[in-house]
Amino acid sequence: MAINAVPDHVPPEMVRDFSLFTSPGMAPAPNGDPHAAVACVHAGPPIFYSPYNTRDGRGTWVITRAADQRRVLQDAETFSSHRSIFASALGENWPMIPLELDPPAHGVFRSLLNPLLSPKRVVVLEPKVRERAITLILRIAASGTSCDVMKDFAFPFTVSIFLRLLGLPDHRLDTFVGWAKDLLHGDDVKRPAAARTIVAFIDELATKRRKEPVDDFMTFIVQAQVGGRPLTEEEVRGIGVLVFIAGLDTVAAAIGFGLAYLARNLKDQDLLRREPDRIVLAAEELLRAYPTVQIIRVATKDIEFEGAPIRKGDYVSCAAMIANRDPAEFECPNTVDLAREDNRHAAFGYGPHRCLGSHLARREIVIGLEEWLARIPAFRIQNGTAPITSGGHLFGIENLILDWS
Amino acid sequence: MRIIVHKAKCQGHARCSAQAPDVFKLDDEGYILPGDIEVAQGEQLLASRGARSCPERALELDRTPAVRAVSDVIEPRVWRA
Repeated sequence: MAINAVPDHVPPEMVRDFSLFTSPGMAPAPNGDPHAAVACVHAGPPIFYSPYNTRDGRGTWVITRAADQRRVLQDAETFSSHRSIFASALGENWPMIPLELDPPAHGVFRSLLNPLLSPKRVVVLEPKVRERAITLILRIAASGTSCDVMKDFAFPFTVSIFLRLLGLPDHRLDTFVGWAKDLLHGDDVKRPAAARTIVAFIDELATKRRKEPVDDFMTFIVQAQVGGRPLTEEEVRGIGVLVFIAGLDTVAAAIGFGLAYLARNLKDQDLLRREPDRIVLAAEELLRAYPTVQIIRVATKDIEFEGAPIRKGDYVSCAAMIANRDPAEFECPNTVDLAREDNRHAAFGYGPHRCLGSHLARREIVIGLEEWLARIPAFRIQNGTAPITSGGHLFGIENLILDWS
Repeated sequence: MRIIVHKAKCQGHARCSAQAPDVFKLDDEGYILPGDIEVAQGEQLLASRGARSCPERALELDRTPAVRAVSDVIEPRVWRA
């Protein structure tokens, strides 16, 4: 593994000592603000080379402007998404679907899956989502005047919604969350072990649903047709694995970052509580200020991009947390303005790979905030505690102890 | 007011229809229906908010139907002016 080795074609003056993994503010830290920490790149050039900017220590080009990230992510022909990021943890090479497929194959699978997570479909799912939020919050409110939002609300809420969607049992929730944590945040031993466990689980679930179909996501997948043929086992696995890991971490983190902001900004908290109609717009601003994902593409050919000599095979990073702090795209990008209207943020990416689950994610975040604010009085971060936040491939928040005594 | 729909750029964020569901109609996959949109008088504010919320810049505002704008994308400043 060539850690910190800068390829010969990268001009030395384009290399910068910046990384979502190693820069100041990226390591797990109490009361950290990793999103604010990355905003510093906007003082520099629109594109530079970071010698250590993936989990496995690879270098990437870093695109800082929102407009340029849009260009990269909209151009899937030049900037491919096929990295086998999951399979490579197992020393294998198969795509998560549709994320790691390029057009035109991508479109076929995307069309298959879109209706399952469309805005229309989310309206149908909404009552169950709200019911789940209310149940959890009532339990929290009845048991005292403080809780760890991540452990007691954000994870059980988002993960159970998603397990129901997949047709998986609620009682295994902790097990699934554990796998996802090991996979997304674990070390070199835990990651491949978790990947193996998840693949085995998805394969077994697919086999089960083939034999005994029920009304759930996996049954739909194993019965589906593309181009007049059923899906291969590898395709079923590629879809199952992607959907499984995509739903397990990011929405919980978004709710955690959002409630952490409101706990520290009581005026905004009070305003949303008194005028809940503002929550939909506010949720977009919280997604802008606190997104979780760095998107990486692979160049399929040599290309000059804003003066940078990108070569075939180079990694190109489009971090939502960087685009969302671009002063050319957002007025006062480092100020959280819950009434912000011009807000075309990149939390769900740009281009054909726009987050498939974005509509469900949004509804969960809005409903989570609505029901929390309606049932929990003025809350703060509990004295003597500090949320631990981190940068990296996925920005995260580990704990959030709130107090409303 | 009229909205020029660059259908090929739509990636189904659905933020336009979240702002103005009566103006921006989506297909079963959640992507905008093809064809430019004539906006009725009372819906102009919501329609322009919807167009301005598109992360892909697939929706272009055209306030002067007689002299149709030819630019591919209108920058936010134009609307603020």
